[in-house]
Amino acid sequence: MIDPTGTQRTEDRELMQRIASGDQQAFGSLYDRLSGPLFSLALQILRDANEAEDTLQEVSMQVCRRAAIYDASRSSLFTWAVMMTRSKAIDRLRARGRRSRIVAGSTDENPETMSGLASEADDAAHTSVKNDEAGRIRSALRTLPDEQRQAIEMAFFSDMTHAEIAERKGEPLGTVKARIRRGLLRMRDGLK
Amino acid sequence: MISEEQQEQASLYALDLLRAEEAGVFERELATNAELQTLVTELRDTAGSLARLVPQQAAPAAVKSRVMQQIAAEAAPASAKVVSFPTWVPWAIAAGLAFFCGMLALDRAKLQDRIAAAESQPILVALAAAEGAGAPAKAEALVSWQPGKQTGVIKIRNLPAAAAGKDYQLWTVDGAYQDPIDAGILRIDANGVAQIEFKPNKDAREVKAFAISLERKGGVPKREGPILLIGTV
Repeated sequence: MIDPTGTQRTEDRELMQRIASGDQQAFGSLYDRLSGPLFSLALQILRDANEAEDTLQEVSMQVCRRAAIYDASRSSLFTWAVMMTRSKAIDRLRARGRRSRIVAGSTDENPETMSGLASEADDAAHTSVKNDEAGRIRSALRTLPDEQRQAIEMAFFSDMTHAEIAERKGEPLGTVKARIRRGLLRMRDGLK
Repeated sequence: MISEEQQEQASLYALDLLRAEEAGVFERELATNAELQTLVTELRDTAGSLARLVPQQAAPAAVKSRVMQQIAAEAAPASAKVVSFPTWVPWAIAAGLAFFCGMLALDRAKLQDRIAAAESQPILVALAAAEGAGAPAKAEALVSWQPGKQTGVIKIRNLPAAAAGKDYQLWTVDGAYQDPIDAGILRIDANGVAQIEFKPNKDAREVKAFAISLERKGGVPKREGPILLIGTV
């Protein structure tokens, strides 16, 4: 999450310094904090529990080995680990030579895929927790026009490039780029 | 003021959607534009937050167990185990030690030769682009490091020349020091290639990694810029 005060960044930096110096307890607490979201993301992209476990293990080791070079000014620790997980999961997906379920079914046609992530805010169960972090993000995403939201979700959760998204949606490349830009900026503003 | 085009590039970059050559061009601009850096950081954190929307599932406990075991093994490959043993065992060990000390004394010269030979063997370390840090994905480097001589050679490919007012700088990450050790400035030719001999400016006996960062022209004593390539020993 965007953290203008930098408090979380300072904590992240200190935690990573402890891990870099060989503090395994510090790593254990970081793992406890991140493993759920990272595993869930890998599972969402890969749709395979074994591969998601392998991805989590690989990313965890990479986080530990690269603790000394983590730069808190460039991204939060959560984002750093998330982007690493996403990258490794997509590498696996491509290596496997098949598209994720997200790609196999059109976003517009399959309500259970990405478009469901934002609309879950409509569920009664979710409205009760809309003050939590996921609720805030979901709310920010829901403020976007459908085409912007879909473009962002497709870009983040699938292994498609923006050119492939444009081709799939039958839209000009410039339109897809503009949707991603406008959507991401608007979402950022909503989370501030 | 950031233009719409820069915002667009920043958005695609934050989502890792730019092709390697596009990312390389954007990163050169990014390196000298603080406002753009802030935008990229914010957009990247925004993109990363999408992971919170996925239905959350706990990772199986076995994964943590495997990870912690692997970390412990890497951190202390020769850690000692505490065992209990009968009272006669220490005497036997002492006798054995005495014998082996004699053997070791005799073989000391040979052992020193072997250590010297081992230290003269170069360690090869491949460096690859650090995720989201700025180097083109195709950029790569190979370090041949000789611990005994405390010198090395680095070969670099596919790394564009540093932007005006900037230099690439090589760092040695050593377990004995809190900060990476300066190992010199790297000049890349127009083809993105370089082969440079280097010597860290401090004694590096516990080298963990080598890294290349983008710094102010002429280099800095302590790393300030982004790590572009890294490789662990």
